[in-house]
Amino acid sequence: MLGALVALLYPIPFERSGQIYYETVGFLVLLNAMLGIGWNIIGGWAGQFDFGPSIFFAIGAYTAALLTINLGWNAWLALLGAMVVSAAICAAVTYPVTKLRGHYFAIATVAMWMIAQPIGATWPLINGSQGLFIPVATGGGFVHGVLTMEFPGRGKGLGFYYLSLALFTITLLAARAIERSKWGFYFRAVRDDQDGAEAIGIDSRLYKVIARCLMAVVFAAGGTLYGFWALAVFPDQVLEVNWNILPMMAAVVGGLGRLWGPVLGAVVLIPISQLMATTLGTGPLAGRGIDLIIYGAIIMVIAGWRPNGLLSLPWSEWAARLRGHASASGKA
Amino acid sequence: MTLFLQAVADGLQMGLLYALVAVGLAIIWGLMEMINFAHGEFMMLGMFGAWGLSAWLGWDPLITMVPLAVVMYGAGVLVYRVLMQKVQRGEMFTQIFATVGLFFFIQNGVVALFTSDYRFINASLLTRLSGANLTVGGVRIGVPLLVGGLIALALFLILYLLIDRTDFGLALQATAEDRDAAMLVGIRPQRMYAVAWGLGTALVAIAGVILANFFSVYPQAGLSFTVLAYAIVALGGFGSILGTLMAALLVGVVQSVTAAYLPPAFKDAFVFASYILIGLFRPQGLFGRF
Amino acid sequence: MRILRVIVAVAVLFFVAVQLGPGARAAGPVSEVLIGELLPLTGNFASLGQQYLWAGQTVEDIVNNDYPDLKVPLGPGKGFPGLGGAKMTLVVRDDQSRGDQARTLAEQLITVNKVHWLNGEGTSGNTSIIQPLVESYGIPMTCHACASPTLTEKGFKWFYRTGPNDGTMVASVFQFLKEWPDHGGPKDLKTIALFTCDNLFCQDNRKIALDLSEKAGYKIVADLTTKTGATTLASEVQRLQSANPDVLFSVQYPAETTIFQADMKRANYMPKVLATSNGAYSDQTWLNAQKATNGAAAWLGRDPTAIDLASKKPSWKQVNEIYKKYSRGQDMGELAMREITGMLWMADTINRAKSVEPAALAKAANETDMKPDMMIIDYKGIKFDKNRQNELATGVVTQIGWDNDKHTIWPWDLAAQAGFKTMYPAPSWPERESHKK
Repeated sequence: MLGALVALLYPIPFERSGQIYYETVGFLVLLNAMLGIGWNIIGGWAGQFDFGPSIFFAIGAYTAALLTINLGWNAWLALLGAMVVSAAICAAVTYPVTKLRGHYFAIATVAMWMIAQPIGATWPLINGSQGLFIPVATGGGFVHGVLTMEFPGRGKGLGFYYLSLALFTITLLAARAIERSKWGFYFRAVRDDQDGAEAIGIDSRLYKVIARCLMAVVFAAGGTLYGFWALAVFPDQVLEVNWNILPMMAAVVGGLGRLWGPVLGAVVLIPISQLMATTLGTGPLAGRGIDLIIYGAIIMVIAGWRPNGLLSLPWSEWAARLRGHASASGKA
Repeated sequence: MTLFLQAVADGLQMGLLYALVAVGLAIIWGLMEMINFAHGEFMMLGMFGAWGLSAWLGWDPLITMVPLAVVMYGAGVLVYRVLMQKVQRGEMFTQIFATVGLFFFIQNGVVALFTSDYRFINASLLTRLSGANLTVGGVRIGVPLLVGGLIALALFLILYLLIDRTDFGLALQATAEDRDAAMLVGIRPQRMYAVAWGLGTALVAIAGVILANFFSVYPQAGLSFTVLAYAIVALGGFGSILGTLMAALLVGVVQSVTAAYLPPAFKDAFVFASYILIGLFRPQGLFGRF
Repeated sequence: MRILRVIVAVAVLFFVAVQLGPGARAAGPVSEVLIGELLPLTGNFASLGQQYLWAGQTVEDIVNNDYPDLKVPLGPGKGFPGLGGAKMTLVVRDDQSRGDQARTLAEQLITVNKVHWLNGEGTSGNTSIIQPLVESYGIPMTCHACASPTLTEKGFKWFYRTGPNDGTMVASVFQFLKEWPDHGGPKDLKTIALFTCDNLFCQDNRKIALDLSEKAGYKIVADLTTKTGATTLASEVQRLQSANPDVLFSVQYPAETTIFQADMKRANYMPKVLATSNGAYSDQTWLNAQKATNGAAAWLGRDPTAIDLASKKPSWKQVNEIYKKYSRGQDMGELAMREITGMLWMADTINRAKSVEPAALAKAANETDMKPDMMIIDYKGIKFDKNRQNELATGVVTQIGWDNDKHTIWPWDLAAQAGFKTMYPAPSWPERESHKK
């Protein structure tokens, strides 16, 4: 409950001081946490390596953009459209490759990403590498902003923060429901012992597809959100390698397969990289990539120190000790 | 017809270079199943090493290949012992995470030291031979690329013999297949992994040294070759050194021939589409063992 | 729920760290004009970004220090006289060549550092991502060397560009080709091939070139788009060779251009005319690397100024010396020249506005009428059209000679001053080899 309160109130002090940037950092954390939760479904629960989830991010962004620009659809309808299209394409392309296992499957996902790149850059329907621009919605207050997913003027930071919070919460609740459902059980069965699962009648190929397409839906939603945030969809931006690895890293850092893992991962990784970028990447050291060197070093340290993710730290022990201290000092 | 034959010849030549880049990965990932996101960065370090020694001391890359390989072997072992050994305790995915950190660290370390300028080797044997061609039956074969290709073949042969025909190679394979069983017969897995990392890193650094004769040297140079290297190792099949070589040649030819007749922007896409197609019929790659 | 506590703890820590960070600035007379510099300093466009950075540092140096004999805006004297001697401070941010990072850092520069002017991003694609954001905050924004025409065609009120866009640039090359036969050039150039990379910049050029080629009556014998980051271009060279165009219009970045040249050499392929616009042609490191191989001789392309003539200007030489302090000895390339010119214009505008309030800055910017004598570049001046594009930004067409320097070949009056005989046809690879002695 406390967490929810913090999340809801987080942007308020920044609105007052006008430092909207921090709201956008919050937005990025929530977006990547959401994507991480989506990735966790295929990567953490079903145990399949998917290194090319950005294709669904791109499909989502482009579908939403096309629906909005060419057909004048409302932003939320476009979001739904993006999710449906993404799931459909995912099912079609994933089923054949579920024949592959382990690392071979992983490379197949990379292959799909590599195939998507020249399509994105040259396909006239999406204007190729010259990108699609979502028209700036004019006027209107906050409600209008929510309806069009475009917030006028300085409301951008606040608006997108709460929008992403909403989508993130929906994703989290949905993921929790799935984790406890039959599907969740089947996913984990496939991950832990695929042959064994098949022996008791679980169709591993079907469930791999389902897991991946659930991820595809989440990524499509993320892509749509990104499209309206950036107001421009370029192929090299939506298919960029960071959309592949950041959600995955968030999930791994936090703790693979744990529901809150990606959230913790995103909360740790993104502020660190932003802090590095704004303090070390500037001034006389600018252009030397010092911030990224430190970022890389931090990642390596975390990986080496806690290879099972930060959630594996003995939080409950520490909390108990804190409580123990408090009650001890209270008694004294 | 000559267009086609020339495209095949060009493809085979590039394929040998790709094989050179992929062979290091074939050991670390193909054999020992450890994911290394920073593979291309080690290659780039090899390129910078070759360029640096050529620019400041005037030594030919064909000579500096040897000391650089030794140094990078040490670097690979170091990376394993300091980082990857700890990471192995956890999830497989943590390896990706750790090597992503390594990727940022190395690439930007080089940017900090050398900036992102493009650099070129001008005074080496292979660059002086550039433009020299052998013409066989109407098909042109570039001499410097041929030399690079021959070195690649030689390395592959040595590696194949090492992995498949020596006790040491068998020990490596054993560790990869079943670590605990290997320990039971007296193999020390940590040592095997360390050697594998050293070997793999040294090999890809050699690839960098050779490639520095043909391509510009800059911190971001590793990327375009790395993705292809991964596809090649997977296509060839895990555990098969020969498979990597065959796959590399296939990739080179597919790339070259599709670029000659279809929109060139899609040439890599066709390579990856072939991977998926072949994978549907042979899920363990061309010659994969597991 | 203890996990929630963890997240809360992290969030609180971050919150605290933020409050201890840079706070809001006090209002009142400024002693420091903050210029946001948002650049791709790492990642794919790093080699461009670093040239922009050096250009920015050069201008900061010129404005803040006293160069009594330097004939550029704010050369003499320290700081901004119109603001009581306030100094200029660059606030640099690296966006790693990523659009999302660019947008996020732009917001940081504006809302946290409270910069008065945003200069960036350096590439047209990422600049278009930050445009709507800056527009909504209402401060002036510039990208002088961003070439995509669309940047000034979307009706943004706060985006200014002093440099020419691709439309003008490619048009000058075609204009030169059209007039060449009447000035001693070949009369039989009939076919053209286009060879471009697949990203926004190259494709913009390609579309304009396609359009102009048709209008000029060329037969387009090949139109190849290649993937950025290619490892080989041998098959593409084969295709071009068999298409055998009279003119090859190639727009590629330096790394791919180098691969292309190596593959051309192996195939012994060289078209009669090799024309280009920006890309590798603007990159100083690529140019320097051609010295050893004569690989660039006879390449012709657009340049913002007649470099061979401008470098005779004392102001050009002085600015170049300052630039070399930051660029570790590299001369100003044409990219740096466009950027420096634009940033000096910015400094002049701030000075004329005598204020850092956005409205005053916009007014001063819109009233700009800068004359060429105070510039190190050969624009006919700086005056903005209704889209805030400098309508006096012209350019010249240059050709690289055997000396690996660029020489002006168009417009004809400047070419006459430069006194360089155009090279035609482009020399073959064996010729380039033998010329190396």
